[in-house]
Amino acid sequence: MEQDKLSNAILVLSCQRRDESAFRELVNRWEPRLYYYLRRIVENENDVWDVLQETWLAVFQNIRKLQDPLKFPTWLYQISHNKAVSLLRKENRYTQMTVEKEADYCESNTTISAVKEQAELVHKALEKLKLAHREVLTLHFLEGFSVREMARVIGISEGTAKSRLYYAKNELQKALKGANHV
Amino acid sequence: MSEPNGKKEFANNLLAQDPPSADKQLQHKEVILKKIERSMRLQKAVIIAIYTALFLVAFGAFNLRKCTDNVVHSFCWGIVSLHIVLWSLVYFLRGICMNMEELIEKRLGNDERRRNKNQNLFLTIWAIFVFVLSTWFLYRSFFLTDSLKAAQKAVSILWAVIFFLLFYPFRTASLIGMLWFEYKKMELNIPKSEEQNLKSQTE
Repeated sequence: MEQDKLSNAILVLSCQRRDESAFRELVNRWEPRLYYYLRRIVENENDVWDVLQETWLAVFQNIRKLQDPLKFPTWLYQISHNKAVSLLRKENRYTQMTVEKEADYCESNTTISAVKEQAELVHKALEKLKLAHREVLTLHFLEGFSVREMARVIGISEGTAKSRLYYAKNELQKALKGANHV
Repeated sequence: MSEPNGKKEFANNLLAQDPPSADKQLQHKEVILKKIERSMRLQKAVIIAIYTALFLVAFGAFNLRKCTDNVVHSFCWGIVSLHIVLWSLVYFLRGICMNMEELIEKRLGNDERRRNKNQNLFLTIWAIFVFVLSTWFLYRSFFLTDSLKAAQKAVSILWAVIFFLLFYPFRTASLIGMLWFEYKKMELNIPKSEEQNLKSQTE
């Protein structure tokens, strides 16, 4: 895990020196994850590819401004989130991203770790959730982002991110139970 | 150790549920890399165009000194060409220095980073001020009638640029030294952290 982070940081540093092969490697490494994440936000596959393209161009143009290479994943997801949201706004599909009240967060008893073995079930259950919940859960499962990182990516307060994750986990649990009953 | 591995495995399994089609991925990558290559080429072309234009302007000014019978004007046009070439060289050296600074900045603390930023801003403002002032003096020297006085004034103007021509290469050299030092420090620290990792694993 640490080695991954380090090799990522080295790639980012090389990209900042305008090394094209490092950029190619970075695209190879992150594209499937970004694709999965964007697919959970944007429905149309062609739109996903467009957003991906815009994201990578923005990354290439602004990577020199990134101060800490270790924060690259959060920064990358932040860019792709913003690009996806602006696309949805253009098409008036970004109507929600609901504003939840900041609930008192208590650790859910949900045994998410048990669910982790069932990626397929989780993947199907994600489709049934609201966009906002789907997004936080995708970030949680895919990257293991902390609440602070999630808040930075989505552009919301830490409290909101915390409660959103809490509700999302509950919703996921319900969806999984429903799937099991069927 | 098993928890992070489990998470990674789960993430991989999740990714496998909706993978991008290989064809589209390849096509998309080609487009992206082409666009990036084009933008890099454009950046290079713009920089080359700017420097070529500056060189041509300086060369034009140098040629103008032969087209005049006035000794003062002839001398001043020669100094104008040097003025342009030397200041564009300062700008080029500043670019290299800034690139080096970007590299070392990541290893510095916030205070030091802020101090460096302020120092650079101060130097940039100072350089612009000196450039404008010396251009103004150069312009004024065209109206002098005494050729000796004009020569003295025009040459003294060139001294202003010398400071920056010396400063930036020295600063770049010291930054390269700092980078090398940081690299050596990292080299010494890596085996230590590896040892610590091994220790913690065995414990």
